[in-house]
Amino acid sequence: MKELDLLKKDWKKTENSFEQISETEIYKMIHKKSSSIVKWIFIISIIEFVVLNAIGFLLPDDTIHQLGWLENLIQVLNFLSYGLALFFMFLFYKNYKTISTTSTTKKLMESIIKTRKTVQYYIYSILATGLLAGIFVGFYLIRKAFIENNQSVMITFFESLVLFIFIAIILGLVWLFYRIIYGFLLKRLQKNYEELSKIDL
Amino acid sequence: MSENLEHSFVKQLQENQNIIHKICRLYTAGEDAHKDLFQEITIQLWKAYPKFRGDSKFSTWAYRVALNTAITLYRKSKRSVPTIEFEGRNHFMNEVDYNYEEEEQIKLMYKAVYLLNDIEKALVYMYLEDKDYQEIAETLGISEVNARVKMNRIKGKLKKILNP
Repeated sequence: MKELDLLKKDWKKTENSFEQISETEIYKMIHKKSSSIVKWIFIISIIEFVVLNAIGFLLPDDTIHQLGWLENLIQVLNFLSYGLALFFMFLFYKNYKTISTTSTTKKLMESIIKTRKTVQYYIYSILATGLLAGIFVGFYLIRKAFIENNQSVMITFFESLVLFIFIAIILGLVWLFYRIIYGFLLKRLQKNYEELSKIDL
Repeated sequence: MSENLEHSFVKQLQENQNIIHKICRLYTAGEDAHKDLFQEITIQLWKAYPKFRGDSKFSTWAYRVALNTAITLYRKSKRSVPTIEFEGRNHFMNEVDYNYEEEEQIKLMYKAVYLLNDIEKALVYMYLEDKDYQEIAETLGISEVNARVKMNRIKGKLKKILNP
């Protein structure tokens, strides 16, 4: 291609046309903070881990004490979720460490996407255990209200509504994080990854 | 990190900085965005520097980290307005060399390359830098044959942009 050869000629000629950055300026630059997407993924993932665990702490303790035999099950689920958090945090850290700018472009993209997915799976697993606990507690409460206490339908309905709103808020938060990350951080990376994968098809 | 390491890094980067400038030229439009990307690449190079063992040339290693930053890690800041300012380019040309038509064509080519996507830009960049297909393939993580095929497609695409 004639034009490309022309460009190559010009490319070489203009090699020295860039305003040169001094050593002092480079010193200053390397002490500045990076704004790379990896850093942001790291920060946001940590926030996600913290927020999800904080929600666990905020759950009202007194309802758990009224659950009789279910109490033990909830405790088990609770321990399970801490175990899950630790396990995923370990995976996350391990994946994060493998992100290296010196690997190939494709590998680098893959490791970033993998790191991000770890947190996503963590969110899913927390939602799943939460849902499981919610279903158990819900059934238990409704059964208790109707059979043992002869509670009115209104109050049962109201209680279910509160539970529903609580779950909706959590889901909303998760959705928000998801949007933030995919909207602002990973959209371009995903597009470039697809583009690069297409070449090797 | 020791001061010695910092000193040798800064010295080598200063000498090889055109590698980064040229990437910035293809990936950004406008002075602010150019500086932004230059800084991010410098930070990423510095972060990766302890792993650079010197078994390859500083420049070869820098190509990879710099391209990876431009394609994968860099977030375009809102400040960068996507206007193409190739008019302001400084040319070091002799009066005798000056060929108006050729000059015009080169300008159009830069504009056409700017319209390519990030991956295509990387291939063009390495092509302009006289890298062979083996190195292009190794940097991006694709096969050599497919790198060659892709480069031919890019040439076709550029032709189409130039002669719509």
